[in-house]
Amino acid sequence: MLRSDQIMATVEMVHKENLDVRTVTMGINLLDCRKGSVKETCAAVEKKIADYADKFVETCNSVAQKFGIPVVNKRISVTPAAFVGAGFTKDNFIELAKALDRAAESAGVDILGGYTAHVEKGITATDQAFIESIPEAIAVTKRVCASINVGSSHKGINMDAVAMMGPTVKALAEQTRESGGFGAAKFVVFCNQPGDNPFMAGAIHGVEEADVVLNVGVSGPGVIARSLEKTIAAKGRENLKLDDIAEEIKQITFRVTRCGELIGRHVSKELGVEFGVVDLSLAPTPKVGDSVGEILQILGVDDVGAPGSTAIVAMLNDAVKKGGIFASKAVGGLSGAFIPVMEDAVLADAVAKGALTIEKLEAMTCVCSVGLDMVPIPGDVDAATISAIIADEMALGMINNKTTAARLIPVPGKKAGEQISFGGLFGESPIMEVRNVGKSDRFISWGGRMPAPIHSFKN
Amino acid sequence: MNKQLVISVMSKDRPGIIADITGVILDLGGDLADLNQSVLGGYFTMILIVEFDEKITAEDLFAGFSHIQSKTKIEASIKQMDVPLEIEKRNLPTETFIVTVQAENRKGLVKIMGDFFFARHINVLDLETTKQQKHYTMIFQIDLSQISSLAVLRKELEMVAEQEHLEIVLQHNDIFKATQEVGTPVI
Repeated sequence: MLRSDQIMATVEMVHKENLDVRTVTMGINLLDCRKGSVKETCAAVEKKIADYADKFVETCNSVAQKFGIPVVNKRISVTPAAFVGAGFTKDNFIELAKALDRAAESAGVDILGGYTAHVEKGITATDQAFIESIPEAIAVTKRVCASINVGSSHKGINMDAVAMMGPTVKALAEQTRESGGFGAAKFVVFCNQPGDNPFMAGAIHGVEEADVVLNVGVSGPGVIARSLEKTIAAKGRENLKLDDIAEEIKQITFRVTRCGELIGRHVSKELGVEFGVVDLSLAPTPKVGDSVGEILQILGVDDVGAPGSTAIVAMLNDAVKKGGIFASKAVGGLSGAFIPVMEDAVLADAVAKGALTIEKLEAMTCVCSVGLDMVPIPGDVDAATISAIIADEMALGMINNKTTAARLIPVPGKKAGEQISFGGLFGESPIMEVRNVGKSDRFISWGGRMPAPIHSFKN
Repeated sequence: MNKQLVISVMSKDRPGIIADITGVILDLGGDLADLNQSVLGGYFTMILIVEFDEKITAEDLFAGFSHIQSKTKIEASIKQMDVPLEIEKRNLPTETFIVTVQAENRKGLVKIMGDFFFARHINVLDLETTKQQKHYTMIFQIDLSQISSLAVLRKELEMVAEQEHLEIVLQHNDIFKATQEVGTPVI
C-alpha cells in the first residue's frame, strides 16, 4: 500500500478540492454519412452516432463509479457539419442540426459540438448557406453547439467571414431572446481551432482525426487553489517565491492530468475506441471553489483585472502545461487556463466591481487559453462592433500561433451592469461594458483577407 | 534438514535493533527469508521468517537475544512451522481498492469497519490507522473480487457512514498509483 499521507492527499483532491474529469468527449467522423438526399444523410448521421455512442455514457459512468472519480460531462463532437453537408442549402443544414440534436438525445449527452465550418481562407456557397443557418439551427435545437474558424496563423484571417460573425451573433441572441440570448453561448468564433478539443462549445472532430476517438478534458482550478493555500499556510508566505509557486502548480497538475489519463484510457479500452488526447485546460465552473480567478487572487491580485493579472495567468498557464505534458502520453486540444467570465464566479465578481474590463480580458487571452469566453455584453452593441472585437481576438491568435476564440453574448434588452444568469454550468455575471461602440464600421466593411503573418524574424 | 521458524520481536524503539536481531540469527547460521517491521507509537515490532539447521532451537535464539547489550528489553516469541510458509512475494489481486474512513476518535471504530467487511466476505489486505488529536483515520486496502456490484457497495458504505458518523471514501487503488507514482503506466 502507498503511504497514508499520499492516499489522504489524493482523497482530499477528489472530495474536498473538486478534482474530477471535466469532460470525456467522443469524436466521431461523419464524412461517410453524406448520401444522395438530406433525409438519407440525416438518417446515416443518426445511425453512425448511435452505433458508436450507444454505450458511451453508461461506460463513462461505470468507470467513474469504479475508480471513484466523477466524470462531470459526457459529450460528442463530430466532423464540421459544413463538410458533412457539402452542397446543402440553409434549410438542409437546419435539418442536419435537428438530426444531430436527436442523435445527442438518444446517446444521453447534453451537448454535441461540430455544427461548424472552416472558412479561414475562403467561403464556399455551402459555407455561406451554413453560416446563414446558424441562428435558426441553434435556436431550434437543445444540444447542438456551433463554431466557425475564421482565421489561422498559416492562412490569415478571413475578414469577410469576420464581418458575418457580428450579425450572426446578434441574430442568435435575438432568436433566443426569451432565454437572455442563450443561443449565443453555444456559438464560438475561432482562430486556429483545434480538431481534438474536448471542451464545449468549440469541440469538433477534425478531419485529420481517426474515425472515432476519445478526448478527455481535465479540470483542477479548485485543486490548485486549495493546494496553493495549504502550501502558503504551511511554509509561510515570506519563505516562498514565485518559482516555488510555479513548481507547486506543476506538481498538482501532474496528478490531475494522470487522473484524466487513467479514466480516459479505461473508458477507451472498454468501448474499444482509440484514445485521443488529454486537454490540460483549467476549466472553471460557477461552483464556489472551482475558479481560475481565485488562483489569481491567491497569487497576489486583490481583484482579477488588477495590474499583474496578465503576468500571473502567463505563469499559471505555463506551469499547467509543464506538469500536464509529463503526465500524459498525448496532449492536445486547447490546453491552457480558461477565463470564461460567466462560468467563473470570481471573474464575474471582478466585473461587478469594475475591476475587469473587456480590454484587460483581451490582454490576458494573449497568454492563456482560450479567448473572450462567455462574455455578456449589452444587447444594443452593433454587429460591426462585435465583428471588430472578434477581429482583435483573432489577430492575437494568428500572430501568436495559438488558439483564440470569442464567445460574446449580446443580451437582448439589457445594459452594462445588469445581471444575466443562464444557470448551471453556464453561470452568471453582470453584463460587461463595451467601450467605443460604433467606431469600427469602416474597418469591418473592408472585407477581404488579412494576410498570414511572417513566420520568421520573430523579434 | 532445515526447519522454518517465525520470530516475532518487540521492543521500545532505538537505533540498532535490526542489527542486533539479525546478528543473533547470523551467528546461529540462520537464513533470513522475509521480514516485516514497523514502529507504532514509539514501539518497534518485527516479524521474521528464518530457516535454520535442524539442531538450532528456540532456546538458542532466546539465549542470543538475552545477551544483546541494551537498556531496552527485547521481547520475542518464536514458533516452528510444521508446514513451511510460502515466502515468495504475496500475490495481490489484480485489482485492489482503498477505503479511507475518518471520524472523531471513539472506541470501536476499527471494529465497525471490520464487521462491515467481514459481513460481505471482503478481505482486508492491509490496514493503516492514525490518530491525530481527536481525529482518527483508517486506510483499508481491500479485495473486492467477491463483490458483484460496486454501486450497491457504495450505497452500503454511505449508509454505514451516515449511521456511524463516519466519512468514508472508496476509490480504486490505481487512482493513487496514477497520482503519486512517476513512471507507472496508467493502464
